[in-house]
Amino acid sequence: MKNNGVSEQPDVKNPPISFLKPLSRIGITSRRSLIYFGIGAIVLILFATVPFYLDVDNNYLGYYLFIVFDYIIIAQGWNLIAGYAGQISMGGNAFFGLGAYTTGIIWLRNITHTGYYFDPLVMLLSGVLPIVLAIIIGIPLLSRLRGDYFAFGTLGAGQILTVFAIKFRHITGGADGLHLPASVYTSMEPYYWVSLLMATFATAFVYFIMRSRLGLALKAIREDETSAASHGVHVLRYKIIAFAGSAFLAGLAGNLFAYYLFLVNPAAEMNLNWIIYPILMVVLGGTGTIFGPVLGAFFVGALFAYGSIYLKSTHPILTGALIILVMKFMPGGLMGLKDQIFARRKQT
Amino acid sequence: MSEWAIISQLTINSILFGSMYGIAAIGLSLIFGTMRIIFLAQGTVIIFFAYICYWLLTLLGIDPYLSILLVVPLAAAIGVGFYYGIFKEAAVLEDRNISLLIAVGLMYLMENLMMVVWKPDPRAVVTAYTSWVFRPFGTTIQFTRLMALVLAIAAAIVVFIFLKRTLMGTAVRAATEDPVSTKLMGINPNLVNAIAFAIGVGLAGTAGVGVATVYSFDPVFGFMFTLKALISLALGGIGNVWGALMGGIVLGFIESFSSYYIGGGWVDAISFGIFLLVISFMPQGLFGARGSMKKHKVKR
Repeated sequence: MKNNGVSEQPDVKNPPISFLKPLSRIGITSRRSLIYFGIGAIVLILFATVPFYLDVDNNYLGYYLFIVFDYIIIAQGWNLIAGYAGQISMGGNAFFGLGAYTTGIIWLRNITHTGYYFDPLVMLLSGVLPIVLAIIIGIPLLSRLRGDYFAFGTLGAGQILTVFAIKFRHITGGADGLHLPASVYTSMEPYYWVSLLMATFATAFVYFIMRSRLGLALKAIREDETSAASHGVHVLRYKIIAFAGSAFLAGLAGNLFAYYLFLVNPAAEMNLNWIIYPILMVVLGGTGTIFGPVLGAFFVGALFAYGSIYLKSTHPILTGALIILVMKFMPGGLMGLKDQIFARRKQT
Repeated sequence: MSEWAIISQLTINSILFGSMYGIAAIGLSLIFGTMRIIFLAQGTVIIFFAYICYWLLTLLGIDPYLSILLVVPLAAAIGVGFYYGIFKEAAVLEDRNISLLIAVGLMYLMENLMMVVWKPDPRAVVTAYTSWVFRPFGTTIQFTRLMALVLAIAAAIVVFIFLKRTLMGTAVRAATEDPVSTKLMGINPNLVNAIAFAIGVGLAGTAGVGVATVYSFDPVFGFMFTLKALISLALGGIGNVWGALMGGIVLGFIESFSSYYIGGGWVDAISFGIFLLVISFMPQGLFGARGSMKKHKVKR
C-alpha cells in the first residue's frame, strides 16, 4: 500500500513503539492499536478454524455464522456511506437485489461459461454491476439531494427498481423469480469459508478506505460539507465513490445470499428488511466505527436466531422494541458504550 | 363508456383516493415541521387505528363514523405518549438519524404486534352503507369514499384553524419556522413537539377510520401508506397544511390515470419517478412558496 500523504498524529498517551514502524502504515501506531489488531487477528484465526472442530453442516452454528458474515458485508457497506460519509442511504435493498439478480441471470443464461457456483468472476460481476447502478443513480441523486432528501431519493430509487424486477418478466422471472440449480449444493463448508473471507475483505476494504486520503475527504464531508468543499474536496465525486463502494459490498452480500437460497426474487432479496437490517446492525454496533458493524451483526444475528427459535413469530416485535430502547438509552451503540465506560474510568 | 365519462370517473376516483394520502401527509408535515424527521411509522399507525375501528365495530358494535369521537382523542393521547415515552431524549440530539431510527423501530414493533394480534390476513369493515353508491352524471361514487373525503377536508380545516387561531398552534408554527428562536422566546420545545405528535397521530386516527371503511387492510399495508404520504408531502411542499392535502390528491391523480392508461403494476414506479423529479428539481413542492424554509431563515 502506498503512503498516501496523511501524516499520522503522534499519540501522546500511547507512544509509538520503535519496532512497529513498518506496521504503522496499516494503522498500528501505538500499543493499544497493536492489542486491538492482535485480538482481531486471533478472533479471525479462531473463526477460520471453526470447521475443523465443528461440523458446520449439521450444526445450527454453521448457518448462524454464515448469515452473520453476510450481514457484516452489507452492514460495512452501509457503514461506509452513512457512518463515514454521513449520507443516509435507504436503497440498500436495490443493490443487494441487483447483486443477487446478477448472479442468478449469469448462471441461468450461461453468460460467462465458467463454474458459476462460487465462481470468482460471477461474484466479482455481482459486485461490479451495483457499482454501475450506484454511479448511474448516484450522480443525479447526490448532486441534487442532501440529508433526509437523499435518504428518500434512494428509497424511491430502490422501490422503482423493485417494480422493474417484477415487471421485466422475461429477464427476471417476475414475482416468482429465478430458481437456481440447487443440485450443486454439497456442503455448508464453502459457504462458511467464502462468507468469512468476504466479511474480512469488507471490513478491511472499509478500514483501508477510511485510512486513505479518500477516507479523510469522506469524514470532512460528513462533518461539514460546505467547509470540505471550500478546502478543495470534490464533494460530489467522493460521495459517489462512497456510494459505489457501499453498493459493491451490498452486491457481494446479495451474491452470497443468492447462492445460499438458490432463489432470486423480489420478496426474498429486495425486501425492505435489507434496508432495515444493515441500519440496525451498524447503529447498534456504533455508527462510523470499524468494529461496530461486526459486533452489531453478531448481536442482531444472535437475536434473530434465538428469537426465531424461542419466540417464534413474535420475535420481530422484540427487534422493534430493541431498536427503540438502544436509540433511547445508548445512541452511540455498543462502541459508544465502550467509550462511555473508558471515559468514566479516566475520570475516577 | 365514452372517453369523457372515463376521464371524469378517473378524476373523481383520484380525488377520493388522494384525500387519504393527503391527510396522512398533513400529519407527516406537522411532525417534520417541529421534529425535523419523517415519522416513518405514520402509515403503520394509521393501519393500527383502522384495526381499532374494526374492533370497535365487531366487538362493541360502534358505528365506524361514530367511533371517530373515541378514536381521535385516543390517538392524540397515544401521540403524546409516543413523544414523552420514546422520542423525548432523541429530540434534543443534533443527530436527526437517531429519531428517524426510533420511528423505524416503532414501525417495526407495531407492524409485528398487529401481525400477532390480528393475524396477517386482510380485514375490512363492512356496514350497511358500505355498498351505497351515488351515480351523478354517469359516474359512480361510493358513499364510504365520499365520507373519507369529507373526513379529510374536515380534519384539514380543524388543523388549519388550530394552527392559525390558537396560541399553541402559533407556537407550533413558530417552531416550524425557527426552532432556536422559538426556544429563546420561552416556548417549551417538548410541549411543541408533543402537540405536533398529538395532531399527527390524531390525524392518523382519522385516516385510520377512513381507511377501515374504504379499503381492506392488513398490517404490511402501513409502510406503503407511509411511502405514499411521503410522496404527497414532497409533491405538496413541506410545512403547508393545504399543500400536503393537495399533494395527496395530485398523487391520487397520478395513480389512477397511470394505472388506467399504462397498467396497474407500473403505478409505484411512476409515482416514485415523479417523486424523485419533484424532490430533485422543485424541493419546495408544487404548492409551496418558491424557496420557502431556508431562504426565509436568511431574510430574518
